Amino acid sequence: MKPFSRRTMLRGMLGGAAVSVGLPPLEAMFNCSGTAYAAGGGLPLRFGLFFWGNGNLPERWTPTGEGSGSDWALSEQLMPLASVKDLITVVSGMSLHTDNIYPHTSGAAGVLTGCNLLAYEDGREDGTFAVPSIDQLIAGHIGGDTIYRSLETGVLPGTDGKSYNGPNNQNPPELSPHAFYERIFGASFREPGEEGIVDPTLALRRSVLDAVMDDINKLDARVGTADKARLDQHFTGVRELELRLARLQEDPPNLEACMRPDEPALEFPEVEGRHPIRDIHRAMADLLVMALACDQTRVVSQWFSDPLNNKLFPDATMGHHSLTHDEPGEQVQVNMVTQFIMGEFAYFVEQLSLVPEGEETLLDHMLLLATSEHGRGQTHSFQEMPLVLAGGACGAIRQGIHHRSYTGDNASQVMLSIVRAMGISAASFGVDAGEVTDGLSEIEA
Amino acid sequence: MQRTPLLFLLAMIACGKPVPSEEVDAALDRAEPDVELPSPSLRRLTRSQYDNAIGELLGDGLVLPSNLEPDQTTDGLLAIGASLTTISPRGVEQYEASAFELMGQALADESKADDLIPCVPEDTVDDACAEAALEAFGLRAWRRPLDDDELSALVGIAADSSVVLGDFTGGLHYAFSAVLQSPNFLFRVELGDGGQFTDYEMASRLSFLLWNSIPDAELLEAASAGELLEDSGLQAQAERLMADSRFEQGIRAFFTDTWTLYELDELTKDPTVFTHMSPEVGPSAREESLLGVLDNVITENGDYRDLFTSTRTFIDRKLASIYSVRAPVREGFGETTLDASHGRRGFLGQVSFLAMESHPVSSSATLRGQFVREVLLCQYIPPPPSDVDTSIPEPSASAATLRERVAVHLEDPFCATCHEMTDPIGLGFEQFDGLGHFRTLEAGATIDPSGELDGKGFHDAWDLTSRIASHERLGPCLVRTALGYASGHSVTDGEETSVDYLSEGFAYMDHNIQFLLMDLVMSDAFRMAGDIE
Repeated sequence: MKPFSRRTMLRGMLGGAAVSVGLPPLEAMFNCSGTAYAAGGGLPLRFGLFFWGNGNLPERWTPTGEGSGSDWALSEQLMPLASVKDLITVVSGMSLHTDNIYPHTSGAAGVLTGCNLLAYEDGREDGTFAVPSIDQLIAGHIGGDTIYRSLETGVLPGTDGKSYNGPNNQNPPELSPHAFYERIFGASFREPGEEGIVDPTLALRRSVLDAVMDDINKLDARVGTADKARLDQHFTGVRELELRLARLQEDPPNLEACMRPDEPALEFPEVEGRHPIRDIHRAMADLLVMALACDQTRVVSQWFSDPLNNKLFPDATMGHHSLTHDEPGEQVQVNMVTQFIMGEFAYFVEQLSLVPEGEETLLDHMLLLATSEHGRGQTHSFQEMPLVLAGGACGAIRQGIHHRSYTGDNASQVMLSIVRAMGISAASFGVDAGEVTDGLSEIEA
Repeated sequence: MQRTPLLFLLAMIACGKPVPSEEVDAALDRAEPDVELPSPSLRRLTRSQYDNAIGELLGDGLVLPSNLEPDQTTDGLLAIGASLTTISPRGVEQYEASAFELMGQALADESKADDLIPCVPEDTVDDACAEAALEAFGLRAWRRPLDDDELSALVGIAADSSVVLGDFTGGLHYAFSAVLQSPNFLFRVELGDGGQFTDYEMASRLSFLLWNSIPDAELLEAASAGELLEDSGLQAQAERLMADSRFEQGIRAFFTDTWTLYELDELTKDPTVFTHMSPEVGPSAREESLLGVLDNVITENGDYRDLFTSTRTFIDRKLASIYSVRAPVREGFGETTLDASHGRRGFLGQVSFLAMESHPVSSSATLRGQFVREVLLCQYIPPPPSDVDTSIPEPSASAATLRERVAVHLEDPFCATCHEMTDPIGLGFEQFDGLGHFRTLEAGATIDPSGELDGKGFHDAWDLTSRIASHERLGPCLVRTALGYASGHSVTDGEETSVDYLSEGFAYMDHNIQFLLMDLVMSDAFRMAGDIE
């Protein structure tokens, strides 16, 4: 696409008051009827994952009623999503059909890959994902045209996330909003209307990467099978970086809501002696929204907290994991923590829904999945898995509905519906007991 | 009470004590059983190895990267995870940025630049001078001489970059950065040749084991001369490395990995419950444990088992407040002797273990017991089964203490199979709260610190630590861990003979860790390579 001669001024809701300027209509680039991309082929859909650890309390999670509109009502734990109820899709009663061997880790693999965990020799650690997690599965198809194939962020300290490219190969999330800002919106970032980077050192960096790829290939000839797979992954990373450097020289896409966001603070002060979870989440979510709005990437994952994390949430008297197991009775605090997390998910959904893209919004053009590795954390349950979608992916997924399974259907069905909604023609999702070949037709439009 | 300032302490550590050489030589010389080794694997440099290697290559004083690919733990060790993990796309980006940043810092420093470029360029492009610089740097960074193709590729990058930038050193910046992004730097390429590791591979294996870093020039020269393939040359270099101050770095890395002390970076404690809690507690507690280890291994050159029974320890003001003793020194760490009446002694009486294996608001008999079983005795506890309620009762009048509350674990046969392996050990440490502070009461009730290990009762933590120190699995478990750490893989069936062999030697030499490391270095398990598969 040729650059516009003037800088786009329409900044949408994120930029405050909207200012309309006399530029050619930009909705052409992103709209659900696909008119703009008719020539280029394919709509740029986006995928987001919002993952938290330790599950939920199903009896306080499941909405009442089913269907659409006023036929169903949000539950106590989902109440923070009231303002976006029409934009979300709640699926309850689904279960994981994979093996539940290692508490938490097996569940994370089960929900995000539909495949059993690959165990290590002596079992002291829980093993690794055997296949890519859903975010990377999708990125493998739709991540190739942007500067970043995918972006991973996290909120709680020490979060490792569960974004896997393959066995023993994780994409560690960025935990510092400032570092994340520097990476995406630092010196190499160009706003719409600016020209690409003219910098001869980019070519020099690429020649260095060429030499690194030669080294990898040479080494590849000497190593065993397992090491070949590892070197292939290294090679892929180097090649992707090289492509990224090439793209920096192109003019940036002209997107109406894209602007360089404010630089976040270097440090976030603790809140009442605790990690400022909400502040960091919102700073990170804002940056992710803008990274999507600027088409720096089409796949993001926000690892709010890890499976098994025992972090102290606001007003909780025990770590989250301890609470799920040891809090007696109705687990008032577990409920409070889950509501807190859903409140933050709601914030993310709202921000995405405020970004205009043509006559629609960024959220309309994507699918955001919120999930966790267990249903009830206390029993490491694979039943009643929490699954909430938002965005609908240009109408591929029905919004504003609650669908409930009464037969513990395989959660992989939801994943397959998601993958297909992203325009990927997948025959199945998952492996062995976790495998399905049909999506969940009730949520598909 | 003896008080040793930190500087003096470090000087003592650097000196070390001489090893009685005839006794060692006789012990090293015993007959070794056959060993079957698995296919060698590439090992990605760990975070600390990357930093240490940069220190060796570029000297002190650089700002090291804070954001690099994290380590992976597998079968209890980062050293094993390094053989399985790879480099993610994000990691590639970070290693690239780090290479340019570090080389930029080094070349901006006149004396460092002079060390890196051992010639005066005659023009903007000077291939001969660039080649001299890259040949020397490449040898150190890749731990082996570069072949002609590798060298000419790097010289080409330097020349092209020099032309574009109009600057010789600027061009070299790109070529040096290429060296640091190469898999030949980021991975340890020790693949063997004809059933044994090559001379240069042995240099790396030795330096990473004993220094947690790359070989120095002298070790590379020994490799070049073929000395490391001979018993006498290998032993001489191992002795030199163990007498060097960098041996401290190697011992720190081994015990940080073995005892999972890196977890102390993420210590989460509720400050309203633990009033001594602050962000410094985790790092201070780790330093206490590591100073104890260095004292045992290097200064005293003593018995591994003493690490569990010594009442001498090295603490700072923060830890002194948790132990309720006077701080031995105003700044840093000093030696002190803890109050035996609390039953506190050895590593298992330290804040590091006690706080790490606890919850944010409370202690945990299960986690503490599990650590003893898995880390110290190499007995693995299966994960809890799924779909069971794992909660324990809330504190109440009838069940005030953790002992009374976890009793359900031991009464229910479903839970007891595993929990009887852990909880009766962990209950022995119950007089130390979730941060390691001494207490006699919990919720108003008196804490009973008695328990049971392998069917035999003990009275309290003091009694328990003697039992652990004299446990028959303690020595062989350290041997097994050391072998996994040195080889980068979990001990395979074909290597069990080596575990037995090294365990006998370790026991015979009074559990001396320096001897164990030397015995390991000289063993087939360290020098022979399996076929590549």
